[in-house]
Amino acid sequence: MTDGLNNLSKMLYLRQSAMAWGAPRTWLIAKKEIMANIRNFKIPVALVAMTLLFLLSTRLLAIDYGHRLDNWSVNQASQRDSVIGSNVKYDLSDGDFFHRAGIGRNPPIQRPQPFSALIKGMDGEMDRTVSVSQRIVFGARQDEPATSALFDTPDTSFVIKLLVSLFALMFSLDTVAREKEVGTLRAMLAQPIRRRDLILYKSLGASISLLAPFAIAYASEIIYLRLAHGLLNSREDLIRALLIFSLGALYGIVFVHIGIFISAITSRTKTAVTTALLTWATIVLLLPNATVLMAKLLTPTPSYNQLNARLYEARRQILQEGGETKPTTRPAPEQPVSGRALLRLFEVERQLTDNYLASKKDQNSRAKLFAALSPAGALTFGLSDLAGTGVGAYNSYLELFRSGRDALLDALKRRLDLPSQTGDKLVQEAREMIATRQRRAEPLGASLRSSIIPITSLFAWAAIFGLAAHWRFKRYDVR
Amino acid sequence: MFRTILRRELQETLSSSTLIFAVVVLTILVLLSAYIQARYYRRMVEDYTLRQNIHQVENSGRAIVLIRPLPPLLPFFNGVYDSLPDEFRLQSDSVITNPLSGDLTPLDWLFPKIDLSFIIGVLMTLLTILLAHDTIVVDREHGTLKLILSGPVQRRVVLAAKLTGVILLMTIILVYVVLLYTTVVKVFSGGTVDLSVANLSALAVSSLVALLVFVAIAALGVAISASSRRSFVSLSLCASIWMVAVLVWPSLGPYIASSFKTVSTLEAAQRDIALKERELIQAELAEQRKTAADLKAQNVGVESAWRQYLELRRRWMERRNVEIGRLVEERKRQIRDQHFFARLILAFSPYVAFKEALGSLCGTGLESYDEFHAAVERYGQQEFLPASFDLLSRQKPWLNAAKPDDRVLLRPLQAPSPTFSERLAAAAWPLGVLIAEIIILLTVGVIGFERYDVRRSHASPGKVSLRS
Repeated sequence: MTDGLNNLSKMLYLRQSAMAWGAPRTWLIAKKEIMANIRNFKIPVALVAMTLLFLLSTRLLAIDYGHRLDNWSVNQASQRDSVIGSNVKYDLSDGDFFHRAGIGRNPPIQRPQPFSALIKGMDGEMDRTVSVSQRIVFGARQDEPATSALFDTPDTSFVIKLLVSLFALMFSLDTVAREKEVGTLRAMLAQPIRRRDLILYKSLGASISLLAPFAIAYASEIIYLRLAHGLLNSREDLIRALLIFSLGALYGIVFVHIGIFISAITSRTKTAVTTALLTWATIVLLLPNATVLMAKLLTPTPSYNQLNARLYEARRQILQEGGETKPTTRPAPEQPVSGRALLRLFEVERQLTDNYLASKKDQNSRAKLFAALSPAGALTFGLSDLAGTGVGAYNSYLELFRSGRDALLDALKRRLDLPSQTGDKLVQEAREMIATRQRRAEPLGASLRSSIIPITSLFAWAAIFGLAAHWRFKRYDVR
Repeated sequence: MFRTILRRELQETLSSSTLIFAVVVLTILVLLSAYIQARYYRRMVEDYTLRQNIHQVENSGRAIVLIRPLPPLLPFFNGVYDSLPDEFRLQSDSVITNPLSGDLTPLDWLFPKIDLSFIIGVLMTLLTILLAHDTIVVDREHGTLKLILSGPVQRRVVLAAKLTGVILLMTIILVYVVLLYTTVVKVFSGGTVDLSVANLSALAVSSLVALLVFVAIAALGVAISASSRRSFVSLSLCASIWMVAVLVWPSLGPYIASSFKTVSTLEAAQRDIALKERELIQAELAEQRKTAADLKAQNVGVESAWRQYLELRRRWMERRNVEIGRLVEERKRQIRDQHFFARLILAFSPYVAFKEALGSLCGTGLESYDEFHAAVERYGQQEFLPASFDLLSRQKPWLNAAKPDDRVLLRPLQAPSPTFSERLAAAAWPLGVLIAEIIILLTVGVIGFERYDVRRSHASPGKVSLRS
């Protein structure tokens, strides 16, 4: 009996001494937040909603990826289909004529990236047939699910962008405003706790409440992709997936801080929620689009048709100088024009095309820079960079065609100074080389490098809102 | 009484910061996106004339290029116009009408362009739900609802007044947004946007559809508001339903449809067609060779041989049209099925209904594309191929004219331009869905409100918050 009492008092004492320590006591604040969130079903709701949406989106995108991969492999197989072209001569006594018939094959498509099952990014844009010879001809985009062009692609990036931010607000809005409303904040501030610690641990509690279900949902998504679709198997893929999670978590923390900030500046929960929803819509739906629009406005690029018109004009001029009167766009080698004039034509075309591609690249990088002004824009670019389906990958995609064409042009130039047989062989080799070339997945280092701006931006946002919330909370007058 | 409640509702909303904030944001966004869309449209128009000039020089009896005309209301609603090919090539020796090339638009994959439909369908519906979610539940929470209902007033009138308050306000904002957008587009498009009577009426009908969307969303908000006890619950419910209906489901829908109703991939379909075509070409070549040998053996004159050759060619062309047409038709049917399925599962979202209706009204939807494509194929069969064959039959290649003139004179393609009533009829399905939704939601709202018991005591807000 006395032993029991002794034990009890001992425990009480231990507990009190632990309370006297700053850390465990403030940790209680975080723990309280988490427990409250479990008890009022916020964490379970977040867990279920995120898991469901992650799994659904990744399933759909994995099917989409499979479809695109099929498309690509058919295209690859068809590259080996024979090209038919033949003449039949009607040779008659008083004259002759020919029947000509032939059929070619589709130009090659580049292989879709497995990570597009997770984050599609710009990968859909690269599903084009592109024929590379002296000129680069971009085919029309391959078809996609009907009407999907009207709405965002429902990939993991989309789910993180919408759900993680919304749940982050949900977990963090209550932290201060509700306690103010109910009056428990006063009681808490009457305790010997520093306000800095209080807000720190409150944000910690909210962050853990958010990140735990996010981590579980995301992990189940990755496991699903590995088990059901056999994707993301290599070590590097897992590192990428982990990096994607970290960026999503950082984005979540930005919104936790935004939520606490809003919570600290409002005095009623309802006002806080309305303000938060409006802020959320502005940051997540408006700002990214608006900043990208601004970037497009500031970096106008010619359209593909304008490029074609310029090419056409250049061709007309050079061919006229070369003595050809009737301009046509039939493949240039058919024209009875000297090799030198042709090379000059190719050179001009090369210049024009390169300008076009460079302007596209400029626009992309400026859009990326501008989008870093909003957390959601930074997230979208950052995630697609980390997945290897972003601006960096797109630029190297364009670079692939550019270098292929340059190699061919080089061979054509050298052919002029070589005996015809070796020259033709050289050109033929160059053609074969670029016909079968497929892009390689972006290396992890390059992905990381290109995602530096978005990551920095997200860190900056987290710090700014964290400090703002802290500052506002310090000014709260208990009396 | 109706007017008193309505006036109070309006006064309360007008004084809230939500509205001011929303109007400011909307104004900035409308200015920005309308300006960009106007410039973008202007460039498209310039491109269009440029392309026409180029293709006119290029077009010959062997191949012509047809360009899809720009929908006049493109800057208001981009629809699927950008993501679908707008040029087709008709060839005299092929049945495939492959699109030529496409612009590179990588950024649109990450951030779809903002147009009027986004502003109305996403932002203004959010505003509507924010205004509507607390119309009744706040009165209930504060106890003022009891006071209102203790007067000689029908509950339906109270509900109608609250709903009218929200809708009236949204109508004013809608008119403001549409007028501002139209003005900016008109001013900055350099006269390329044609605001004729037909286009203006299409725009007016689109605004009416937008209003229907707002009514549906407001009815949803009021229905939830009338059935819930705490404003926080009402708000969370409204916000989640809005998010699912406007953001999540419309994005998922097309992908769900494509995973259930699979369509053979484009490359596979094209390869099938190419294989078939290869087979046919081989067979034709064999027959041509045989005929050529026969004719030579029979010592036929070149002119009659040419006639026989033409006959043979015509026969093979017809056969090719039939056999490849079948393959093309099969794939089209699959795509139609998939699209229909997508429409079916997306139907409940008012945002999708709105975009569907706009697509029909502005000519930027999938139907308009299908119509144009069908028109191109008809034109190829009825105009181009006969003309091109006619040109061939008039030639005398054995006379060895250095370069035969391969120019064909063709009646220009009459792109389908549905009349206003036809466009309206095409929008009937989404409109019907919207109206059905409104009726259901209003019924739910009325029932939910009727079930409210004045005498039952409710916990005061203070108590409620302490408990949780």
